Amino acid sequence: MPSHVPAQAADPAVAPIRVPLLAWLLAVVALVVSYLLLQENGLVTTGAVAEYLHEFTHDGRHALGVPCH
Amino acid sequence: MGTVTLGGVLRRGALAGVAAGVAASLVAFFVVEPVIERALAVEEARAAGEPAAEELVGRATQVVGGMVAALAVAICLALVLAVVFAQVRHRLPGRTDFGRATLLAFLGFVSFALVPALKYPADPPAVGNPDTVGARTAQYLSLIAAAAAISWLAVLVRQVLVARGHSTPLAATAGVLTGVAGYAAIMLIWPAASGDIPADVPAQLIWDFRVASLAELAAMWATMGATLGLLLTPRPPKAAPRTAEATTAA
Ligand SMILES: [Zn+2]
Repeated sequence: MPSHVPAQAADPAVAPIRVPLLAWLLAVVALVVSYLLLQENGLVTTGAVAEYLHEFTHDGRHALGVPCH
Repeated sequence: MGTVTLGGVLRRGALAGVAAGVAASLVAFFVVEPVIERALAVEEARAAGEPAAEELVGRATQVVGGMVAALAVAICLALVLAVVFAQVRHRLPGRTDFGRATLLAFLGFVSFALVPALKYPADPPAVGNPDTVGARTAQYLSLIAAAAAISWLAVLVRQVLVARGHSTPLAATAGVLTGVAGYAAIMLIWPAASGDIPADVPAQLIWDFRVASLAELAAMWATMGATLGLLLTPRPPKAAPRTAEATTAA
């Protein structure tokens, strides 16, 4: 990057940050956890644990605007 | 501006997620829960006469569960926000990381909360047909994916125009128009919300719940963006060196 670019210039170019695949995997895991917490209506997991998770997060699911039964 | 590392962004993202989760769960407790209580009263009136069904999870546990869910989801979404921020930081407009982080969180709010809330508004418990939940979930998730893609397109349009030498206001306007037109288009294309609202649920209750739900989502995203932005903002230099600098300048 040229050093004469003043730091206060409007919309200055900033150096890109290297984001390895591992970071994206973390993001995907975070999205899957959100899905299991909020979307799960028997699509992935079933049984007593899923039922408990569904009822435990039920208020949260509705409050966050997620479709529910 | 000091060097910003991925690890640094992720750590700040996690903290922003905790702050956003606390803010959202406070709104959940004080604003959303009272409306849920009204909805449960409707459900109870419906079941009057029938033998009381065995509750798997008690009411108090569900209130706590709703707050825990808001916290956990906020932390997850903030980690996603941090990874995306690291990836697209150099494409985002703004003079500071605070501006860039809050803009990205705003786009996150629009894509993950506002567009889905306008197309498929939140409903309280006591509303909803179990037979349609699969279809409603697919519509909701695909709409979010499409809205996120539109947000990305809007950022890209602005960046390409700037790179081609167009003025900043023109590029910004084109980006905003791309976003607004794109969101409107996908909302028209996606199937209409299922009209599953039972007749015994008052319209006022539905409306109050939708406003309360959007308030919780807005609190979550606003706190997430502002906290990430603040944590990325370099601390001002201490007073002593600044005085020395001023003396040198004078
Ligand atoms: Zn449910």
